[in-house]
Amino acid sequence: MAILDGRDPIAQGVVLDLPLISENGAVVPLGISIDRPMAEDEYVQAIHVFAPANPFPHIASFRYPNARSTPRLETRVRLNESQPVVVLAELSSGAVLVGESEVRVTVSGCLTMSDTYDTESVFQTRVRVEPGAPTSVLTLINHPQETGLRTNAQGEIIPKRLIEKLEARIGDELVFEADLHRSISANPYLRFYIQPDAPGTLDLVWTEDTGETAEFSQDVA
Amino acid sequence: MISRRKVIKSAAAAFAATPLLSMPFVARAQTAGRVVIVGGGFGGATAAKYIKRRNPDIAVTLVEASPRFYTCPFSNLYLGGLRDFDSIGHSFDELTDTYGVELITEWAEGVDGDAHTLTLASGETLGYDKLLLSPGIDMRWDGIEGYDEAAAELAPHAWKAGPQTELLRSQLEAMDDGGLFILSAPADPFRCPPGPYERVSLIANYFKESKPSSKILILDSKDAFSKQGLFQAGWQELYGDMIEWVSLSNDGRVIRVDAENLEVETEFGEIHRADVLNVIPPQKAGFIAEAAGVTNEGGWVPINPETFESQQVSDIYVVGDATIAAPMPKSGFSANAQGKVAASAIVAALTGEEAPAPSWANTCYSLIGPEYGISVAGVYRVENGEIISVEGSGGVSPAEADAEFRAAEARYAVGWYDAITQDIWGSQPA
Repeated sequence: MAILDGRDPIAQGVVLDLPLISENGAVVPLGISIDRPMAEDEYVQAIHVFAPANPFPHIASFRYPNARSTPRLETRVRLNESQPVVVLAELSSGAVLVGESEVRVTVSGCLTMSDTYDTESVFQTRVRVEPGAPTSVLTLINHPQETGLRTNAQGEIIPKRLIEKLEARIGDELVFEADLHRSISANPYLRFYIQPDAPGTLDLVWTEDTGETAEFSQDVA
Repeated sequence: MISRRKVIKSAAAAFAATPLLSMPFVARAQTAGRVVIVGGGFGGATAAKYIKRRNPDIAVTLVEASPRFYTCPFSNLYLGGLRDFDSIGHSFDELTDTYGVELITEWAEGVDGDAHTLTLASGETLGYDKLLLSPGIDMRWDGIEGYDEAAAELAPHAWKAGPQTELLRSQLEAMDDGGLFILSAPADPFRCPPGPYERVSLIANYFKESKPSSKILILDSKDAFSKQGLFQAGWQELYGDMIEWVSLSNDGRVIRVDAENLEVETEFGEIHRADVLNVIPPQKAGFIAEAAGVTNEGGWVPINPETFESQQVSDIYVVGDATIAAPMPKSGFSANAQGKVAASAIVAALTGEEAPAPSWANTCYSLIGPEYGISVAGVYRVENGEIISVEGSGGVSPAEADAEFRAAEARYAVGWYDAITQDIWGSQPA
C-alpha cells in the first residue's frame, strides 16, 4: 500500500467507535481517536480510513499540518457489506499505527430507502463551533455525494458528483484538511478538533469535484 | 444440572406465592424438566404456551411483574383516541388455567448462570434447567443529555405500554388547539421501527378531528425510516402539511432535553419548544439480560439463531426486542415467532431430540389513519449461522393503491392484532 511505503504498521492506539451491527449501510456512524503515548514533538499527521470490501475502498484521509493537532474525528460512512473498517494513522516520527473494527451490515426488514439530501439546497452548510480545549468543529454539507455507481428509476447511471475536500484555516494557516471519497455518506458530516494558538477567523471551504465550493467563516478564540 | 431437591424446594416456595392457580398441577408428575421464563410479553408468553403445548410434563414458571400485559402494538391507536386502554391489556389466565403454567407476579432481579438459578425481588430463588428471557427493552437514560427517568414524567417516552402511554394521552387531551407536538425518534436499532411514524399518524388523526390547527414535528436521528415513502404519501393525503419530518442530515438529532420547559436542542444548536414532548430515547436489552451476563458491549443479546440460546451463557435463551436478530425487526410479531422457535429448541433439548431447523415470518402493519393501513412483510431463515431475509419473499404495500386497498390493509391490521393476541394470551377480540 502506497501510504505504508514499506513501513510495518503497529497495531496499537487507534480507537474506532463503530456499531457492531448496522441496519443501514448507507449511514454508518464512525468515530476515530488516537490513544497512544507520543514522544515529544511527535504528533498524528494523517488518518486514513478504508472499507476493503467497498467498490472503492478508500473512504477518506484526514491531515493535520501542524503539531497542534487533536486526532479525534466523527463522520458517517457507507459500507456496501459486512466487513472490517481499517484505519491507519501516520505519525510525524514516521511510525504508522493501524486499527480495525468489524461491522455487520444488514438491511432492516422494516426499512425502505430514499434519497436523503435536500435537492433544493445542495451546498447548504451547517456548522457548530464549540470553543474549548480543544475546540470542536461540527460540520455538515447538504450534498448527494453521488458515487457514479448508482442508477436512477430509468436505469441510467447517475453521474458521479462528490464533495472531495474540506479545508479548515485559521487566518492563512491550514489547520485541518479532509479528502473525502465515494464511501462518505450523503450529506458529508464531520466533527474535528482544532487548537487555535491565538484568536482568529476560522475559514472552512468545501470543494466539489466540479471545482464548485461552499464556504463558512466564524471568529474563534 | 441442579439437584432435584433444589427444584422441588423452589417450586414449593413458588406455589406458596400463587396457591390457587398452581394447585391443580401440583399432583402431576413433572419429570421432563423445569423451565423458568422471565417476561410475559410477545416472546415469553408465547414460549410458555408452546412449551406446554408440546410437552405438558415440562414444568413452566412465568415470572412477570405486571398482572396484565399491555402491548406496544396498538398503543398508538389508544394514543389517537381510537381504542380504550383496557383493550390492549391481556391476562395470563389462559396460560395458568388451560396450560398449567405457574405464574409469579414479581420482578426478576438476578441470574446465576452457573448455579442455574433466578432470584426474584423478594429474595426468593428459582432453580431451572432452561431459562428463557423475554425482557424487552430498557431506555438508555444516559443516551440524551437531560433525559432521565424524572424527565420522562414530564416528557414521556411511552415506548413501554403502561402508565407512560396514559400520561402521553392525557397530555395530548389537555393540549390546546394550535399546539405543537414534538416526537424525537432514535437511531437504529430500536423497538418497533415503524412505531414512531404510526404514532404521529394517529395523533394527527386525533388533531384533525379535535384540534385542527395543531402541528406535529418529528425530529429524527435517522436519514431514512421504515415504510418512509408510504408514510409520507399518506400524511400528505390525509393530513396535508400538519406533519413535518426533520431528518438526521437536516439537523433532526436531539442531543439535549429540557423537560421542565419542554425544549429540545439538536446537534447543530437549534432549540425547539413543544406543547407536548415525546422523547423516544436510545434503548438496550431489558436489565435482566444484562444481569444474566448475556448482553454484549452494545447492550443487546447475541444469540445462536438456530435456537435463540445465548452465545455467552448456556441454558439461557433470549427472544424478542432484546436480541440481535437483524434483519428481523424488533417487533411483537418477531418475538412471537422467535418464542416458538426457542420453545421447540428447549423441548427438544430437554427430551434429547434435535431442534428443528427454524424459519420465521414477520409482518409490520401500520395505520396512517383508521381506514388507511400499510404493511411490510418478511420471511427469514438461517444461512451460514446468520439470520437472512429469504430472497424473493416478503414485500411492502404498493406505492399506488386506491382507498379500498388501504382500508382493507387497515382491517388486516386489526385482524392481525386479534389473531396474535389470541395466539399468545388467548384473548378475545375487543
